Amino acid sequence: MRTSVALAAAAASVLAVPALADYPERPIQIIVPYSAGGGTDLSVRLLADSLTRQLEGARVVVRNQPGGGGSVGTSAAIHARPDGYTLGTGAQGPLALLPHLGGTDYQLEDVNFIALFGRNLQVLVACANAPFQDFDAFMAHAKDNAVQVGNSGAGGANHISAEAFAKAADVKIESVPYPGSADARTACIGGHIDAMVASPAEALSASGAGQMTPLFVMEDERIDVFPDTPTAAEKGIDFTWSSWKGIIAPEGLPEEVKATLQEAIAAAVEDQEFRTAMEELGEFVVFEDAEAYEARAVADSEVARQTIEDLGLLGMNN
Amino acid sequence: MDNLVYLLPLFDLEVLWVIALGTFGGLIIGALPGLTATMGVALLIPLTFGMAPVMGLNMLIGIYIGGIYGGCVSAILLRTPGTPSSAATVLDGYPMAARGEAGRALGMATVASTIGGLFAAVVLATLAPQLAGVALKFGSAEYFALALFGLTIIASLSGDILKGVISGLLGILIACVGSDPITGGLRYTFGVSGFASGFAFTPALIGLFALSEVFTQMERFGQENKVTLKVAGRWPTRSDLRESRGALVRGSIIGTIIGIIPGTGSGTASWIAYNEARRSSKTPEKFGTGYAPGIAATESANNAVCAAALIPLLALGIPGDVVTAVLMGGLMIQGLAPGPMLYITNPDVVVGIFGGTFIATLFMFVFGMALIPVFSRILMIPRHILAVTIVVFCFIGSFAINLNQVDLYTMVGFGLLGWGMQKFGFSQAALCIALILGPMMEANLRRGLLQTHNDLMAFLSGPITLLFLGLAFLSMLLPLIARSRAGRGTSTPSQNG
Repeated sequence: MRTSVALAAAAASVLAVPALADYPERPIQIIVPYSAGGGTDLSVRLLADSLTRQLEGARVVVRNQPGGGGSVGTSAAIHARPDGYTLGTGAQGPLALLPHLGGTDYQLEDVNFIALFGRNLQVLVACANAPFQDFDAFMAHAKDNAVQVGNSGAGGANHISAEAFAKAADVKIESVPYPGSADARTACIGGHIDAMVASPAEALSASGAGQMTPLFVMEDERIDVFPDTPTAAEKGIDFTWSSWKGIIAPEGLPEEVKATLQEAIAAAVEDQEFRTAMEELGEFVVFEDAEAYEARAVADSEVARQTIEDLGLLGMNN
Repeated sequence: MDNLVYLLPLFDLEVLWVIALGTFGGLIIGALPGLTATMGVALLIPLTFGMAPVMGLNMLIGIYIGGIYGGCVSAILLRTPGTPSSAATVLDGYPMAARGEAGRALGMATVASTIGGLFAAVVLATLAPQLAGVALKFGSAEYFALALFGLTIIASLSGDILKGVISGLLGILIACVGSDPITGGLRYTFGVSGFASGFAFTPALIGLFALSEVFTQMERFGQENKVTLKVAGRWPTRSDLRESRGALVRGSIIGTIIGIIPGTGSGTASWIAYNEARRSSKTPEKFGTGYAPGIAATESANNAVCAAALIPLLALGIPGDVVTAVLMGGLMIQGLAPGPMLYITNPDVVVGIFGGTFIATLFMFVFGMALIPVFSRILMIPRHILAVTIVVFCFIGSFAINLNQVDLYTMVGFGLLGWGMQKFGFSQAALCIALILGPMMEANLRRGLLQTHNDLMAFLSGPITLLFLGLAFLSMLLPLIARSRAGRGTSTPSQNG
């Protein structure tokens, strides 16, 4: 009996203290909380390839665990064993928005931020047959008429950003939820809604074909792909918004492992092959360390909380 | 015709080899329950980074076409829809295989898939820009009417209308579990976060059709002496083909139209095609008993969807279904933005994809035909061993799709439900149709009401809406008329699906 207890204790101590000096010595999994093939999934796959080139001794693989708007996979990552072999994708929706709606078994405080590697810039576009074609016309129209703005899911990033903008600009909008961004885009090109929040890549190809017209960019400065499109800030409205994604881990990750990962991600983001592929995808690569990443998440979470409260959705799913 | 020169790169040995590999891989992925064409394409996109666009994209299209076809293999042999699109193939494919004619059923499915695929590929290559506009006409009211029309299939598909309606309504109710499509609020999840997006569809179908059948078979183990099946044949008979002519034409056309409409998919197309084939048949009572035109209709429709779903993607930059949404990522990674401009900036890619679609369909035919004897040998495994193997696959397949253990409960729950329904003569097909179309009907009804500020009349306007509502009305009425005409003496045999 005593020996078996001792053995168990020894086994536990071996399990609890991984051989840090050798990290990583087996494949590392990054959980993507969405189905394979979406924008976030593809960019994490690209990052995983790049990380594999950076981290000696380990392959980095992606595991898709979709469901619940991203809360299922995010929860799995936050509650994984903190050994550095299971990491998560820290996306804006599941981290900064969903906990306010309720029904998640984690909060923003439970997240161990490693590094941010990409932002998704957002552009408000006018859809086919919309009665406005630029920012000023949009504002004039929206003062008196409720503009129907499509989004890719109630409580999701572009629902919150559209509502937060409407509040900041003091205009009327009616949010129209669709099951995903592809469905919203289809409705937009077909003229079934007036406007939607799109990514620059979506907006660029569609505006080239005359299917959408960019109205304004949700950044504090104009962006390269749309040099003629204003920002909300320069029109006197204090509003910026972008969604983002980074790598997160469970609390309790050994500091050495965290440092190794941060270094590797910083190097992986500089990788030329990674950058080229991300650019083709229309992704905006940017590196932020754990502190900046966390600060961004906390700030967005606060804006989202207020917007969700205004919409009467706070704690809806608790 | 200058564009034909862009077809030349396809006949490079390396490109042909990659398309063949993609199609073969897709076929295997589709045949394995729980691995879907969507997953296959998504997982292999990174492989295409380094390839020339035409080569990489055609490999993905090969996986797509092979994957949708491959789904029929397990549907016919094991009553396990490998992909949701082949659920309707179970209805006639499995009874035919159970009769010892697995080869004939697989042969019919292969020929039908090829015809449907080639038909839609011709439409894609010749009429894509003209037809793509249809995709833009669909607003909430139109989708609602289409879903309603689809749901009326239940009336003609169920022998006992009352039981059919009960199954259908149960399906709609089950589809309400998960987050509300308009407010995002969670419904009927009882605090289990794994159910936040509702019951996962593929595990539900695997349980409903495959696990339930295992239960039913287990009940019979004691009584039957014959433990293995014959697996004769490879080609459909001449009379199969003659009888299926109408079903093939209708299936191909229906699949092409549904494929162009974004947000619908091969699941919807195959059920509507099955119902149309049955409705217009001179011998509707044979459907559901292992009748070749039933297989011909569903398989021609679901493979027509593949090429047709590329029409709005290439011509407008909007994906026609889930797989093409993933393919769009593949295009963008190559630096190509799908949409009207693609025809002007990269005609080589567009024409290359047209050609690749044809080639992949032909490869699918060759591989499919060659593998039929191999696949049908599965049925030579003694039944009690096969039953256990199917149970194992049910679990693996249900878990593999989302790596979510809640999906296993879903699968077992639907297995028990399906077993009970089968026992008491409730149509599993009706439940399946409601699971596909219920959410589409609800979301579009409520979105439409939101946009029009609760104006129900908006659902009675527009030519497309009225067309589908009219079809829905007829589809409800015709079985009743047929029934009263047939008199009281003969009753339609109940559909066991």
